[in-house]
Amino acid sequence: MKRYLFAIAAAMLLAAPVSAHHSTAMYEMANPTTITGTVKRFEWTNPHAFIYLDVKDDKGASVEWEIELMSLNHLRSYGWVRTTVKPGDQITCTGGRAKSGAPSMISALLKLPDGRELRS
Amino acid sequence: MTARSLLVVAATLASAIPYGHEDTKITKVHEELFVQEHVVRLRALRDVVAHAQQQQAVPAAPAQGESPYRIAGRLPVRIMDFKVEPATIEPGQTVTLSWWTENPASITIDPIGRVAPRGQQKLTPSVTTTYTLSVTGASNSSDKRSVTVVVKGTTARATPANASVAKAVPRTADGHPDFSGVYGYGAAGRGGPPPAPGSLPTTPVLKPGAEKFKVTRAADDTGQYSTCMPPGIPQSFFVPYYIQIVQAPKQIVIAHEYLNLHRIIPTDGRPHPPDPDPSWMGNAVARWDGDTLVVDSIGYNDKTEINGYRHTESLHIVERISRPSVETLQYEATIEDPNVFAGPWVVRRTFPLLPEYDAINEFVCENNRDYKPLFGK
Repeated sequence: MKRYLFAIAAAMLLAAPVSAHHSTAMYEMANPTTITGTVKRFEWTNPHAFIYLDVKDDKGASVEWEIELMSLNHLRSYGWVRTTVKPGDQITCTGGRAKSGAPSMISALLKLPDGRELRS
Repeated sequence: MTARSLLVVAATLASAIPYGHEDTKITKVHEELFVQEHVVRLRALRDVVAHAQQQQAVPAAPAQGESPYRIAGRLPVRIMDFKVEPATIEPGQTVTLSWWTENPASITIDPIGRVAPRGQQKLTPSVTTTYTLSVTGASNSSDKRSVTVVVKGTTARATPANASVAKAVPRTADGHPDFSGVYGYGAAGRGGPPPAPGSLPTTPVLKPGAEKFKVTRAADDTGQYSTCMPPGIPQSFFVPYYIQIVQAPKQIVIAHEYLNLHRIIPTDGRPHPPDPDPSWMGNAVARWDGDTLVVDSIGYNDKTEINGYRHTESLHIVERISRPSVETLQYEATIEDPNVFAGPWVVRRTFPLLPEYDAINEFVCENNRDYKPLFGK
């Protein structure tokens, strides 16, 4: 067991963490939210990329969700380019919703129209 | 010890290590993110956890309340495309090699080396050559694909006997090591030689009466970086974005992707100008001490934080930058402020070279959001 603990400690000391450039304390990360909708707009930019998603609520009305993604260097490292998500795509995002209840979330992974899942 | 308690230990260890931001507030989410990222990126930790999971038969399905970043960290790597066009050429002709991977942790093309997750290169192989794209990712996932360029009238090139021969650190015409390149994020305590006995402390000691300079934050304060104000030196090196160095004979440019901040530092040994105006990034001059660049800076404003402490305009920083190998940039900053700290202290980082990138990204922080309303009441 000691060998394992040493390996973990060594791994921790050697590795780089990844994070947004701000805290995620405003999002509910302990209970992930998954939503599906149609892409209205995709902003491919630092410090964070954003997707604006048209989501139908319980009564069928459209609600625009603001989906925050990681920064471009992280997204590129996951294989993203600026055309990975396009207006009109139906996608599913999983992440943490704003604690305020606003239609806003930070997405950790999403599913593209062809079923591919990508870190986000 | 069960696999679950092993992860708890990992999380505890993670929380005990200074966070990359060196922010004063470390959220539980960050701890989880910290752990999952290591599970993704490090074979050592992954193997340890996988072994423990195997021993204890911990289910792989997401646990209740599991961080979405941990779920994302299990997505398998895949090769979407790898091709060469045209596949057959006459000697001297050029081909385009293109590749596309998703969710990778590491990507190499033999015999080219490390590459970005997506890209293309124009190549002029002199003989018939096979290129092999290898990717690794989370959960022991990996993929490999090969393409061959046939050069008419030639025979296949044999794989180099030892492709991992260490390359020498490049040097400029005047003999100094050349630091030029794009470098990745360097976590606290990452790499580098151990500090010599008797070396300066790595945490500050406040002088008596200077307690007000220690930063405390409210629960809905998302930290010094969410304001989009320049973090100054050395904090500009501590954000999770890339750095680019461009070295010229008499000056060196250190550009940070974060906020697109940069310093153009003379390296000809000139002194500071008298009484420089206080600024976010300070006034820096440099000289060579053997193969180490020593950057001396003053002229800072008092608006930035260093590892959770504010400072005054008397801040004085001496940075020592070296490139002990092609792959790494070694960074050390000695921090002094006689109004705040009892004595000088140092911070150190090792930044990995990212040969797969030519330039840092654009960064427009005005795109940032006001996050406070998202907290609610």
